[in-house]
Amino acid sequence: MEIHETKQDAAVILSVKGRVDASSSAGLEQRLLGLIESGERRIVVDCAQLDYISSAGLRALLVAVKRLNASGGKMALGDLKDEIREVFDIAGFSSIFSIYPNTDAALGKM
Amino acid sequence: MNKRVAIQVENDLAELERVSRLVDAFGAQHDLPRRVVFELNLVLDEVLTNVMSYGYADTRQHQIIVRLSVMLEPHPAEVVIEVEDDGRPFDPTEAEVPALDSPVEERPVGGLGIHLVRQLMDGLTYRRQQGKNVLLLRRVIDDRRRL
Repeated sequence: MEIHETKQDAAVILSVKGRVDASSSAGLEQRLLGLIESGERRIVVDCAQLDYISSAGLRALLVAVKRLNASGGKMALGDLKDEIREVFDIAGFSSIFSIYPNTDAALGKM
Repeated sequence: MNKRVAIQVENDLAELERVSRLVDAFGAQHDLPRRVVFELNLVLDEVLTNVMSYGYADTRQHQIIVRLSVMLEPHPAEVVIEVEDDGRPFDPTEAEVPALDSPVEERPVGGLGIHLVRQLMDGLTYRRQQGKNVLLLRRVIDDRRRL
């Protein structure tokens, strides 16, 4: 898993590339919680190059979005591959995350 | 005709990569749709992670057997996976379904792995046999989403 971070307007865009599984999910969780801790309230997760996510990765996102929402922030996900989108749908995550076709659309709604 | 491969792994999460290479090779060999290979990898990841993380009361090394086969008959063709471990009895078909319609603050963090397995596979059966958990997963070979 690789994470690249950029800022645009008042939002942080986190591009997550590769696999988020039991061995890499803690790293993603820490990164997200770190951003929230340092005051970020608008986070867009760019999933264009996210190839795989298991329940460990879903849990990391859930922990982060709970923390972010409790702080009055918002998280959006953009550009999910179809198989990844199906995983999110099955996990019931499509109702608690704002999911957009791409990062620009996600930023536009923040 | 049935075509079958098997792999034996230790109860060590580092082994998961070896399993996923086997699944990828199996998928290539049988020309399985990309979605099917993706889902097989995911469900095996979930099942094996559960076995390795919760299945054993000791810290000893254990062997887990994974068998993959393609059943062309009867139609429709399907992939059958069998996971056999000697851990404590655990029947994933009896696990509780997590509450997936609660608001985010109340959304449970656990139970997602088994839920994904149940939804992505077309059949899931469990039996306890001679001190082993034997889990059978079936996935019809087609490209359609399960949800």
